Amino acid sequence: MTASLTAAGFAEDDVRERARTGAAAVFPPHGEYGHRLFGARGDRTAASPGPLDPLDALRLVPPVLMPHRLEKLVELAREPHYGDVDLTTDIGGFRSTAPVYVSAFGSTQVADSGLGAAASRQAGRLGIPMVIGENIVPTVGYTGAAATADTGSGGILARLRAYESEVPDGVGGIAFQQSTEDADAEVWNLIYSAPSAQNLLATGRLAFELKVGQGAKPGLGGMTVVGTETAARLAEHFTTEDVFGDGKHVLRSSSPGTFTEEILRQQIRFMRNNYPRARVWVKLPPGRDVRTATAVAWEAGADAVTVDGAEGGSGWAPRPFFDHVGLPLAECLRRVRAWEKSGCLLASGRMWEGSRVAKALALGARAAGLGRAALLAVDENPDDGLDRLLACLTLELRLIISALGKYAPAALAPEDVWAPGTAQLDG
Amino acid sequence: MTDQQETQPPTTLPAHLRNPVTRAMVRVQNRIVRAAREHLTAQGFTELRPPIIGPVTDPGGRGSKQIDIDFYGHRYKLMTSAILYKQASLLAFDKIFCVAPNVRLEPLETANTSRHLVEFHQLDVEIAGASRNDAMNVAQDIVATAAAAVVADLEDELAVLGRDPQAFAALLKEDAPFDRMTHADAVAGLSRLGHPQNPDAEIDWEGEALLSVRADRPFFITDYPKGSRGFYDRENPERPGVLTNFDLIAPEGYGELISGSEREHDYARIVARMRETGENPAKYAWYLDMVRGGIPASSGFGIGLERLTRYIAGLDAVWQATAFPKTPGVVSA
Repeated sequence: MTASLTAAGFAEDDVRERARTGAAAVFPPHGEYGHRLFGARGDRTAASPGPLDPLDALRLVPPVLMPHRLEKLVELAREPHYGDVDLTTDIGGFRSTAPVYVSAFGSTQVADSGLGAAASRQAGRLGIPMVIGENIVPTVGYTGAAATADTGSGGILARLRAYESEVPDGVGGIAFQQSTEDADAEVWNLIYSAPSAQNLLATGRLAFELKVGQGAKPGLGGMTVVGTETAARLAEHFTTEDVFGDGKHVLRSSSPGTFTEEILRQQIRFMRNNYPRARVWVKLPPGRDVRTATAVAWEAGADAVTVDGAEGGSGWAPRPFFDHVGLPLAECLRRVRAWEKSGCLLASGRMWEGSRVAKALALGARAAGLGRAALLAVDENPDDGLDRLLACLTLELRLIISALGKYAPAALAPEDVWAPGTAQLDG
Repeated sequence: MTDQQETQPPTTLPAHLRNPVTRAMVRVQNRIVRAAREHLTAQGFTELRPPIIGPVTDPGGRGSKQIDIDFYGHRYKLMTSAILYKQASLLAFDKIFCVAPNVRLEPLETANTSRHLVEFHQLDVEIAGASRNDAMNVAQDIVATAAAAVVADLEDELAVLGRDPQAFAALLKEDAPFDRMTHADAVAGLSRLGHPQNPDAEIDWEGEALLSVRADRPFFITDYPKGSRGFYDRENPERPGVLTNFDLIAPEGYGELISGSEREHDYARIVARMRETGENPAKYAWYLDMVRGGIPASSGFGIGLERLTRYIAGLDAVWQATAFPKTPGVVSA
């Protein structure tokens, strides 16, 4: 039937796409899967005139009068400059050369195309912590030996070895996630007894991260697109659904897992009981009760709690989740109020340069996670891309922190940022 | 208990099997099992042969890994304990026991505890309608009966093993329940000894050894915190966060012999507890279907047979208490 109606000002094209393709239109075209990183738009453009990301909308506001700079001057017996900023940071029990770490990218095809191992090597060399994502063992395999064309060669041990081969003594560390499906494969038990993990374990540089949720799709589990042959292999452990209708690809979903205050508390305690030599990290989605969840996790003994803002994500997600679901990172940080008293709070979501990282630190985060930025950087140059990206980021951080009259990331505070339209940050 | 050379297995299985200590140990172990069987049978217990494989097994804790096997295209497990089948057995008999083979890939850090084997046996007991106290009494009777039988019948073997029968004087003389302390008491006691112990977790190996070495007969530790044990140990309804469970600790530094508890048996409670221990309820399908249909309330426990043998025979390490030792991380016969 020939279309004759028009509906100016309405989402006519989107409606027509849905009428043509059905449920496939809930997702970005699956042909982009593995080549494009997804996430909230954030920037205002002509095509996307939405509101500016709330964290980007903040301004960093140096004072005129700087008592902390005087302290540094006394310490150094000379005027301090940006090179005097010491970026060394304790991140969830690990010593990092900078207040940044590489966020998880798990079984997502992008992360598994060799970029994961390249990112691991470079993160190790830089002495910054790295999180290895969920669902690698059930989909890709433990050693990578089970890899197929669909899943690449990013086995969990390959990434561990890549990181460890380059990391200097005394810095860095790896956190391994485990999803509900991973629990069936006992990923943490495997890692804890793996001979190749013993060095990191013995030097206090191994953590297990309980993934409660993620920024790109809060309330949902991990989602990826897999070929139908792979889907048949995974069907016993994952939900797979033919939403694309092409007979070649299906949507693979992990369960998000059910959490209450007591379940979260006890899972963390059980991790501490079972793995006394490993650190315990927790990753939270940008939920409205993020303050309560963070407090429960710290009280139960988590060494770090990550809040992944709704801007986060590298994997596959339903379209409404990109721009309409979950709290922006800035609002998460305001709610958690980690600048008051806290354990270690980590923040992720559209992190790639110094000012956004500095704003997150000012709002209470101990460090910021690089997700898409790390993948793009190693895609640009698998040997040095992340090194160079971090060179920019750390220089920017030194410049910004010193401009604020401070000389350590931990010294940043809410006083260092200003929200347009307010006299002072309301926190 | 002090010879460091004995903390690792012998280089070859033939050398171990030719060792007179091994032969004496096997006779002691057989006497222990016979004494337990006779005692339990006389008390009206029925012995069942336990399963070796299943789609799911005891999730355990403390980092031990299960062994997967391919079961016609499905992932099955070797039993890490018989707990799920023990609860199921109560649909047939009210009082059951079994001598169950278990396999756990224990973490490498347990290689030097002198009391971890990858392959071992549990003398498992489960009693429908029983309280924790009932189960503790049965556990005490088994240990006392076994020790008495060995002391009475195997004087020569104990001599070969260098085990002084007087080691059991306190155990056999006093006709009174073994001493009991709560987990909180144990944590406080360890703190006084200068040993930091996480109050939310299991007593660690060093802490347990410190408590054990100070005792002259076995004693119970009760009321472990919830985050330290599997989903089947019942949470005390009057004291949320505290489990109605127990361990029996051997004296002289031999450490834990038994773990037991009242069991969770309510379907919704079990599902919630599974989540609290990070388990995926979907893989427990047969068990949850059974629980949904109703299983009896019960209490029970498992005795580490090689650990009990080690204690009674006075062996330095638990690998000496099996003819075919497999210790964590060591590739052996």
